[in-house]
Amino acid sequence: MAASISSYTFSSVCYHSANSNSDHEGFLLGEVRQEETVSISDTQISSAELLQVVEVHNHEPCAQLFSFYDYAGKVNDENLNRILKDRHKNVIGWYRFRRNTQQQMSFREQIIHKQLTQLLGVPDLVFLLFSFISTANNSTHALEYVLFRPNRRYNQRVTLHIPNLGTTSQQEYKVSSVPNTSLNYAKVIKEHGAEFFDKDGVMKDIRTIFQVYGALQDRVQAVCGEVEQNERVKEKFQEEVNKLKQQIALRKQKSAEEERRLQEAQNPEQRPTPEENSEPPETSLLSRVAFHTPSTPERLGPSANPPSYADLHSLQDDSLLPSLSSPTSAALLPRPQAVGSPGHPSPSPLGLNPSPAPSPSTPYLGNGDGSSSDSLDRQAAGQEEEEEEEEEEEEEDDDDEDSSEYENLVSEVAQLPPVTASVLAQGRPAALSPDGDASVLGSQTS
Amino acid sequence: MAVSAVHLESDAFLVCMNHALSTEKEEVMGLCIGEVDTNRIVHIHSVIILRRSDKRKDRVEISPEQLSSAATESYRLADMTGRPMRVVGWYHSHPHITVWPSHVDVRTQAMYQMMDQGFVGLIFSCFIEDKNTKTGRVLYTCFQSVQAQKGSEYERIEIPIHVVPHEAIGKVCLESAVELPRILCQEEQDTYRKIHSLTHLDPITKIHNGSVFTKNLCSQMSAVSGPLLQWLEDRLEQNRQSVIELQLDKERLTQELATM
Repeated sequence: MAASISSYTFSSVCYHSANSNSDHEGFLLGEVRQEETVSISDTQISSAELLQVVEVHNHEPCAQLFSFYDYAGKVNDENLNRILKDRHKNVIGWYRFRRNTQQQMSFREQIIHKQLTQLLGVPDLVFLLFSFISTANNSTHALEYVLFRPNRRYNQRVTLHIPNLGTTSQQEYKVSSVPNTSLNYAKVIKEHGAEFFDKDGVMKDIRTIFQVYGALQDRVQAVCGEVEQNERVKEKFQEEVNKLKQQIALRKQKSAEEERRLQEAQNPEQRPTPEENSEPPETSLLSRVAFHTPSTPERLGPSANPPSYADLHSLQDDSLLPSLSSPTSAALLPRPQAVGSPGHPSPSPLGLNPSPAPSPSTPYLGNGDGSSSDSLDRQAAGQEEEEEEEEEEEEEDDDDEDSSEYENLVSEVAQLPPVTASVLAQGRPAALSPDGDASVLGSQTS
Repeated sequence: MAVSAVHLESDAFLVCMNHALSTEKEEVMGLCIGEVDTNRIVHIHSVIILRRSDKRKDRVEISPEQLSSAATESYRLADMTGRPMRVVGWYHSHPHITVWPSHVDVRTQAMYQMMDQGFVGLIFSCFIEDKNTKTGRVLYTCFQSVQAQKGSEYERIEIPIHVVPHEAIGKVCLESAVELPRILCQEEQDTYRKIHSLTHLDPITKIHNGSVFTKNLCSQMSAVSGPLLQWLEDRLEQNRQSVIELQLDKERLTQELATM
């Protein structure tokens, strides 16, 4: 089996993944066709082999996790149809993007895959897994991708090819003709070859193909203009929706505070406990985000939408944060996760690293000790390699990103304050890995 | 240090990826446009795809003309966004090669840093495959150069880089993305023009060269323009759906707010 995906679709998946601060998933649309390859061998005259070619044409990203399945991994047919609409029949697979995880299908993914295979009626449904890892100082990042054929025995992996220009082959132009003194040759080719050229001596084909190219580029430009307008409209609506959500959240917070004050006034001796919370999950977690400085926007839990960067900025404006010398840089840090980094305590709010950094990348969040993940160093020649400590995978405390290794903990983590979650994650024994294997946290399979 | 970190907007990242994945046979390059804030963080808002004037392996140099037109581009971006934008770095791809900068890359980077201390270099490594596990890989890194302690050679220093979410694709990024086919065609035309001006070629050779041009243009259309157009159409459709959903969300939230 061979598989290919267009570079634009691939980049688009990377783009959507980069925009989500949790795992990201979606469906792969395309077609599967049979290609016959004829090979001649000594034993037979010719043998035709049927090669299945999976072509991914585009992808349908899911706006949120759990949009078509629940915690137990049960797929909801209705939601599935709502997401796919009439593109049902074009689905050839699905994909998942996770950070700092192993290159293996998680148990939930396997369950979902089996159900999707049945519901969509695609016997050889494929699964594309993207996993993202970074070096400890976040200077280098790797996106690894594997295409699985889970419905085959032994969960076969297929090479994913990205067609590209390859040989632009400008070397194929000939700068000189093969020397030939034959007059006949010169006469014949001049006479009959003239067909190819127009009166200006330019090859007719060139004019024609250039017209085709010009028309195509014009169309690309036109559709690009439409997309641009579309993006602005979408942006505007997104802003309005975000503003409304904020207003609602603030209102809810105010009314909750008023209630609490009322209660305190009524019962002056009783002090309300922190857990006694009449606030809806979004507000309480939003305020937690505001206080929890050096982290990325936390996952609010599966029901709520993760806060966008705009949310985080406006929360800062409400000066809920303690004043810092560099609040912007701290809050803007998208994801500090690093595999193979030594188990440091959470960085201070200013992001200053206690340990001296050999690579002078300075007062910035992250270890800064120049250690890089082993899998990235594999390809480097002559780079200084530090001892990689793989005992502790993540040292920073926003592990609420929904990577599959934590899927089992999802419901617990959502309720816990962030610090505890990170401690949990660090100390989680290998046995809780969704694959059920006893691999040590932090080890990379590829 | 001059630069503490780099924040690459995700739509600029998209354009870089598109560009890097456009060919596995040679290195591509471009310039990064953005601004540096008071915390010495370089924010990259968009990129400009450049033509490679010297296609020798492992040589990525930007001509003064390219730098000047990039500057013009950044003024345009500054006009549009109302913020001071300038060329803040460069990027290039390493197809089938390790992501780390070569000695030439480090030297080139050092040269740019002489003009601008805050200039950063990005490298995208792609078309890497681990045959054993059938795992494909795309890597990216950010670096600057410093004088090595011993001798006059330069060595790289790693700069943290983060891709910052940007839900909608900016106008400048879209325009940069659709420049790629135009640049490729331009390159092909220039090469062909030089060949065409050779007068001593016999008709068969001329036909051959014309066919090479046709073939190459076809290759560009099917490998770049076509998929680009398809992606744009898909994006259009996705956006239309998103807008419908956002409108519903807005109505629902407005009602909710009204009842509070």
